[in-house]
Amino acid sequence: MKPKIGIYGLSGCWGEQINILNCEDELLDIVGAVDIVDFLGGSSVNDTESRLAIAFVEGSVANAREEKELQHIRNRSDLLVACGSCACFGGVGAMDAQVSRPELIKQVYGNNGPAKSWDIGPHKPLSEFVKVDLAIPGCPMESKAFVKAVSSLLNGDVPLLPTYPVCLECKMKEYDCLLVSRGLPCAGPVTVAGCGARCPGYNVACIGCHGPVDEANMGSIEKIFEQKELPMDQIKLKLRTFAAPVLDKERE
Amino acid sequence: MKILKMPKQNLDLFVSVLPAFGEVYAPVKRGKGFAFDKPSLWSDVQMKYTRTILPPKKLMLPPRETTIAFDPVEGFQDQLAMASKPMVLFGVHPYDIYGLNILDRVFAQSKYPDPYYIARRKNTAIIGMDFEPDDKHFAGSMNSDFVDSGFDLFLSDIGDDYLVLVGTSRGDDIVVMSGCLMQTPGEADFAAYKRRSKDRRASYKTKLEMEDLPEIMEMEYHSKAWEDIGNRCLSCGSCSMACPTCYCFDINDEVELGSRKGQRIRSWDSCLFKTHALVAGGENFREERSSRIKFRYYHKQRGFVAEYGRPSCIGCGRCVEVCPAEINIISVIETIRGERDGIASSAPKSV
Amino acid sequence: MELQAVHQNPSEKTENPYLPHMARIVRIHRMVPDNYLFQLRFVDDNVLQNWEHRPGQFVELSVIGTGEAPISISSAPTRKGILELCIRRAGRVTSALYKLPTNAMVGIRGPYGNGFPVEEMEGNDLLIIAGGLGMAPLRSLLWYALDNREKFGTVTLMYGARNPADMLFREELLSLADVEDFNCLLTVDRDPTGTWKQHVGLLPTLFKKATFDPSRTYAAVVGPPIVYKFVLAELLKLNFRKDRILMSLERRMKCGVGKCGHCSVGYKYTCIHGPVFTYWDAINLPEIV
Repeated sequence: MKPKIGIYGLSGCWGEQINILNCEDELLDIVGAVDIVDFLGGSSVNDTESRLAIAFVEGSVANAREEKELQHIRNRSDLLVACGSCACFGGVGAMDAQVSRPELIKQVYGNNGPAKSWDIGPHKPLSEFVKVDLAIPGCPMESKAFVKAVSSLLNGDVPLLPTYPVCLECKMKEYDCLLVSRGLPCAGPVTVAGCGARCPGYNVACIGCHGPVDEANMGSIEKIFEQKELPMDQIKLKLRTFAAPVLDKERE
Repeated sequence: MKILKMPKQNLDLFVSVLPAFGEVYAPVKRGKGFAFDKPSLWSDVQMKYTRTILPPKKLMLPPRETTIAFDPVEGFQDQLAMASKPMVLFGVHPYDIYGLNILDRVFAQSKYPDPYYIARRKNTAIIGMDFEPDDKHFAGSMNSDFVDSGFDLFLSDIGDDYLVLVGTSRGDDIVVMSGCLMQTPGEADFAAYKRRSKDRRASYKTKLEMEDLPEIMEMEYHSKAWEDIGNRCLSCGSCSMACPTCYCFDINDEVELGSRKGQRIRSWDSCLFKTHALVAGGENFREERSSRIKFRYYHKQRGFVAEYGRPSCIGCGRCVEVCPAEINIISVIETIRGERDGIASSAPKSV
Repeated sequence: MELQAVHQNPSEKTENPYLPHMARIVRIHRMVPDNYLFQLRFVDDNVLQNWEHRPGQFVELSVIGTGEAPISISSAPTRKGILELCIRRAGRVTSALYKLPTNAMVGIRGPYGNGFPVEEMEGNDLLIIAGGLGMAPLRSLLWYALDNREKFGTVTLMYGARNPADMLFREELLSLADVEDFNCLLTVDRDPTGTWKQHVGLLPTLFKKATFDPSRTYAAVVGPPIVYKFVLAELLKLNFRKDRILMSLERRMKCGVGKCGHCSVGYKYTCIHGPVFTYWDAINLPEIV
C-alpha cells in the first residue's frame, strides 16, 4: 500500500498548493509513489481522518480555528512539513505582527473601515504550535523542493535543503551582481537559496522570500545599502516581508 | 618553444578553424561584466575584457555536475562520459591559465587524480591572450602575469600582429589547420613584444607585497583585524565562487521519486558558509564568521605555500570586484602586515 | 609543464577514486545503543582479496540513496575478509544505515588517511589511550599490535568510558584482561550496576596503574576534547616527546581524497595529512584541537 499524504492550506495565498499542482512532469510519479488522500486544493473528495505518513501544510496560523486544524493534522501525521515562508516563518501575514489588528484595520481602511475586527490575530509560523519535521521556505515553495522532499522522506531521509545564501546560486549562473555592479537593493547575500537566483536572473533584486540565512550579517548589509545610497532599512523591510518573526526573535 | 606571428586581420579566419577542436568558449559581455560563453557571433567576442565574472575553472570543475549514478541493485556507475566533450577556450588571460595550473596540482598531479577534472582539462584547448591590467589586477605581484605552460597557443598583442606561442602539439595542429595565417616573426617583432611586456609590468596600479607573508600570517593569527573583517563579511561565498583557485565542493545524493536510484552530484561550496566545517555530531570547527574568512586567507596565502611552494592567489582581482562588503585583499594583507591602521580605514567612506 | 603532464598517456585509465565498491552487511552487532558494529564483506572478490588498510585509516561509506559519510576502520589489517566499522548514529547517513537489515548492500571506498605510522612504532612500547568512542579507531591498532605481538615491547591499553554500558567492545576487551603480555586497563567514570570488576575512576587515574619508559614508547590517544586535555597533560608530565604522542582527529572528511576542503584543519587536510597527527603537528597547526 502506498503511503498516504495530505496537503493543507492555512492562512496564505495557496501558492504552495498551486506549485504542487504545477509539478506537471512529476505528478504521475508522485501519485505513483504516494496516495494523496486529503487535498482540498486539488480534490473535492477527501479523507479527513485517516492516518497520514506525511502532511504538507502551507500558510500561517492566524486564529484559534486554524490552530485547532493544525493540531488535528499533526495528530494524524507521522511527519509534518511546513511548506512556504508563511508556514515556516509567518510570512507576509506576520509582517506587521507587532501592530494591533484594530490599528492595522485603521491603517488600511481609514476611519470608515469595519467597526469590529475579524477573527484574525497576528500570523504565526507552524512551529509556534506543533512540532515541524521539515521546513521548506520560499514564496512560494519551489516545486522541485517539494518533489525532492517527497523523494527523500519516502526513503526515510531528511532532504538536504540549501542553507547557503542566494549568492552561491547567482554566481553559479554567472549573473552580474546586481548589488555590486548596479547598486540595486539585493537581499541575496542574506537570503537562503533554493530559487536558483530566479529574480537576479531577470535583473530583479532578491526580495528575500526564502527567509534570512542563519547568522545573517544584518549590520554589514545595512551599511552596504547605506553606502550605496539605498534606504538603509530597505534590507530589513525586505526580509520582514517574509520572515518578520525570525528577525524579531533574533533581536530579542 | 615555437613562436609565430599572425597579422591581426587574420584573426577572424583563424578562429573559424577552432570549432574543429571543440565547442568554442570566448569572453563576451555579461551585464556590466564579462563571461566565457559560446559566442553567437564572433563580433561579440571581447578582445579587451578586464576579467570574466567566473574564471575558467567553471568549465573544468563545473558549478554542478553528476559524478556517479547509483542503483540499489546495480551499484555505482561513474558518469565520466559526460566530462569528455572537447572544448576550446579562447582568450584566457595568463593569470587564469596560471589558476588552472594550480588546480592541476590539486586535481591532476595529486595522490588521487580526479578523473572528471582531468577529462575536461585534457579535452580542452586553451588559447591564451595577454591583457592590460586595470586597478584591481595584481598578477604582477603573484608571478602569474606570464605563463610558460598550461596553454596550447598564446597570443600577445604586438601592434599590428599577434605574437603566437605554440605550447603543445595540439596547438601546432590548430596552427597547421589554419593554413598560412601565421608567419615567422623577426627581430622587430620580438623587440615590440619585449617593449610591451616591460610597459605592462610597469602599468600595475595595484601591488601586493608577498615577501615573508606566510610567516607574518602565522604571527598575526590572533590579530583583532580578523574580527573586524569578520564583522564586515556577509559569508555570501561570492569570493570563493569567483576565485580561480577556490575548489571546495559539496557532494549530495539526489534520488528519483519512489526509489533509491539516483545521482551523486558535486557542486561548488565555500569555506565561508557556516556548515563547511560542521561534523555529523553537531560540532562546528569554524563556528565564527571571522574564523571562516581568516581560514580562507590562510589557506590561500599560507597553506598553499607550505604544501606547494607558492600561494594559490593569482592576483586576478575577482574577489575584490565581487565582494558586496568591499573587503579588499590588498587592504587585508596590508593590515596584517601592520602597514595600515586597521581594516576600518580601508573601508568605503561611510563605514 | 603542467598541461603536458595532464596530456600524457591519454589512453591510460585512471581509477575513479570517488567510485564506491559494493559491500554486504554480514552482521550487525548491537554493542551499545546508538553505537553498532557493522561487519561488511566486499561483493567483488577482486576488491576483497586486494583490500589493505592501516590502523587509523577510514573509509567513505555510502548508504545507497542517502549519501556518504567518513567512518574509521575498527578491524585490524591482520584480520582479512571482513571489514568492521563501529558506527555511531549521529547524522543523516548513519541514521539511514541503522535502518538497513543484515544482508543489505552499502558502498565503500577507501581506505583513506595516513593511519598510524606502525612501521615507525614497531620495536617500541605501545600505549593506547582511548576515551569513550575513541576506542573505535584504536581497536584496529590494538589488534594489529596483538597480532604482531613480537614486533612491540610492552603493550598497554588504557580505556575509559562513562559507565560499563557505554564501553565499546566491552566483552572482547574484558576477555583480554587476563592475557599475558598485554596490560589491559579498563575504567568507568561510575558503575551504576555495581557489577563492574575493573577500575572505577576517570581515565587519567589509570596512569597510576602502569609505568612507562617514554624514551621507547609511542602513545596513541583518541577521545573527546576533554580526554585530550587531561591525557596530554599526563603524558607531557611523564616527559613523552611531542612527536611520540599520536592522536586521531575527527573532521568532515567528505571526499576523502584531499579535494573537497571540508576536513581542512589549519591548512592541512585531515583526510590526506591525517587523521593521525602527532601532538607536535597539532600545536603547530592553528585550530587543530
